[in-house]
Amino acid sequence: MVLHTLNAAPSSAAFRDCLKLVAPDDAVVLLGDGVYAALEGTAACDELRAAAAALFVLRADAQLAGIESPADGFGLIDMDDLVALTERFERQLAWY
Amino acid sequence: MPAGVFCLGGAPLVIYSLLVLSSPVSGHGSRTGAAFAHSAIARGHSIHRVFFLDAGTLNGSHNSILPQDETDPAASWEALHREHGVELVLCISSALRYGMLDATEAARHDRSNATINPAFSVSGLGQLVDACAHSDRLITFGG
Repeated sequence: MVLHTLNAAPSSAAFRDCLKLVAPDDAVVLLGDGVYAALEGTAACDELRAAAAALFVLRADAQLAGIESPADGFGLIDMDDLVALTERFERQLAWY
Repeated sequence: MPAGVFCLGGAPLVIYSLLVLSSPVSGHGSRTGAAFAHSAIARGHSIHRVFFLDAGTLNGSHNSILPQDETDPAASWEALHREHGVELVLCISSALRYGMLDATEAARHDRSNATINPAFSVSGLGQLVDACAHSDRLITFGG
């Protein structure tokens, strides 16, 4: 069970590397430039959903990117929720 | 419940340390890290240490001036130290490369003045290893 914090654009090598390692019992939080993967209809969005992990987007960063409502399957979370996720997951992998 | 996480009044209390590689002048990583730390404390957890590495050491600058309409992540880190006594440590080898000097290093390297905010200290990578050993979680903020 790993918490992936994905702060990298879908076109980046870090994003690709993260996709290879996400397992179904993991959680992925999109932040920074990673939030663009929560745009419906993009390949990155479909690839993340195919990983069958729990998917989240940090609300503050999504709003800065102009994303008011993320694609289906992505939960919008606040900082308090991110802290709660780190309580549940013992390990974090930071992708950037 | 994971080992090393203690329970008080039903809520698990976690000891965190943070590793910050994000520069305060590009991306959101530094702001996100500081907000995370404040939020964790608000939830009753503790922050053992924040270790700044590479461009993250720029968060300790005493000389950066941001436009008035931008939030200053350095101020948020400083508040963490001032209000909650959180230890803010800049990696010494990164700090020297980026010109982040405390008074001791400024004198040692014959520079006229210190450039870091007094809320921060400068120390070696061993402080990161120590932070890992004394925390339940190490959370990294990069990018």
